Amino acid sequence: MKTFYVNARYLIVPLMTIATILGLLIGNTFAWLGVILFGINTIIDTLTKNIHLRADFDKNGNSYGIKKLQYAVMYFMLPTFILLQVVLAWRLFQYTSFIPFETMSFLGVSYQNGISGFNLIGSVLSAGLWAGLGIIYGHELSHNRKEGFLVSRLIMALSGASHFTYAHVYNHHLDLGHEDDPATAPRGRNVYSHAWLSHAGQSQYSYDLERDKLKRQNKSFFSLSNKWIAGYLYSLPSILLFVWAGGVFGILALIIVWAISNFLLEALNFMGHYGLIREKGKPVEHRHSWDNDNLFTSWFFIEIGRQGDHHVRGETYFWELDDVDAPNYGIGYFSLFVLTLIPSLFRKFTEKLLDDWDQNKATDGEREIANQFKKISVS
Amino acid sequence: MFSFFKKKSTSYTAQIEPGGIEVKVQSGKNLLTAALEAGINWPYKCRVGSCGTCKCKILEGKISPEIDFGYVLDFNELNDGYALACQTALKTDIKVKVKLKDK
Repeated sequence: MKTFYVNARYLIVPLMTIATILGLLIGNTFAWLGVILFGINTIIDTLTKNIHLRADFDKNGNSYGIKKLQYAVMYFMLPTFILLQVVLAWRLFQYTSFIPFETMSFLGVSYQNGISGFNLIGSVLSAGLWAGLGIIYGHELSHNRKEGFLVSRLIMALSGASHFTYAHVYNHHLDLGHEDDPATAPRGRNVYSHAWLSHAGQSQYSYDLERDKLKRQNKSFFSLSNKWIAGYLYSLPSILLFVWAGGVFGILALIIVWAISNFLLEALNFMGHYGLIREKGKPVEHRHSWDNDNLFTSWFFIEIGRQGDHHVRGETYFWELDDVDAPNYGIGYFSLFVLTLIPSLFRKFTEKLLDDWDQNKATDGEREIANQFKKISVS
Repeated sequence: MFSFFKKKSTSYTAQIEPGGIEVKVQSGKNLLTAALEAGINWPYKCRVGSCGTCKCKILEGKISPEIDFGYVLDFNELNDGYALACQTALKTDIKVKVKLKDK
């Protein structure tokens, strides 16, 4: 029973993604289901902010998590996210082809053929939000093994962000908390600036990584071995699909989907390390990441919020990550995400937390860097 | 209910040189994690294959690299059988050379 509970609790995103797809298929106002679910999740996350659980191990110290099952679910999410894009493209095609509204039935389930402009907006927003949540699988698989790494790249490519997989492993995990890591947000930066700077910085890193690797191998930059170029090519089917579905209008829709999904990705990076400082060359420790580990965030985001443990034991499967007394926001990702959208509120919320970090967790060297931020009135 | 998904646990032995200390590496675990759990002072930093601190030389046996070592190790090191312990699974018993940290 415990095995079932531990493994089934990580199925929230797969089930809700499927529900979002069904919403798009049924049409009418159901097209907004993805947006509504996101809102409901924010409420649940806020209500459960004080429930924190530890990782579950049996009396011999073995995890209840079943690797094959969890991997099967993560791999299954690749075709699921592809289906989400295909269904959105179909709705775009219906809209741009002026398909008349008509209630039809498939296998006994009625759906609306044709879609209004209002409900198309709902479809695009729903698809963008849930494609963005695909990053939790792209992230987990970026750390894990051969074909998992490729699946990670393909999932991220659905959001035009395949560069993430390399940049995350080789840049973010190595340079965390330092200015060399574009994914770490320094104090004073807001999430809107961070989204652009982090995205571009990680792509630049991935570009440099490939350029240097190919130079070492005496290969041309324009080689089949260039993973940076290959990553963008993986996104080509999405572009072609949306051009087919709606021409310029389709591209506009895809840009919105990608903007939302990349914004969510970078918001997670932003929340994970905002304002925390590490001196270059010093070991990555638990204090260099913020934990968000209330019940709903942990289950929904497959423990991605246990950043403290993850960055010290990067090879550890998500179901084995635990509370390591890392700095903790005390609220979940959904609630915190709402705060990040209002930069003044977010800075006010983090001010005391960062002061506490400076006084009680930082080393002398880190405190010195923090003081430099304070001298220019950034906290 | 989920027993179908459970894998039989196998393990191989890594003999660490110099010194000849033997470590059991269970399937699903990498060389670094097994060594650390056995109390061996193997040098490491990032544990995701990006820093190169856990670099070691495989003297005998077969391994399965879990990521592309080519981003961290140079051409000569790859040809000489170097590997990143944090991203190394074993396919057979191995003999491996590493400079352990001073206690």
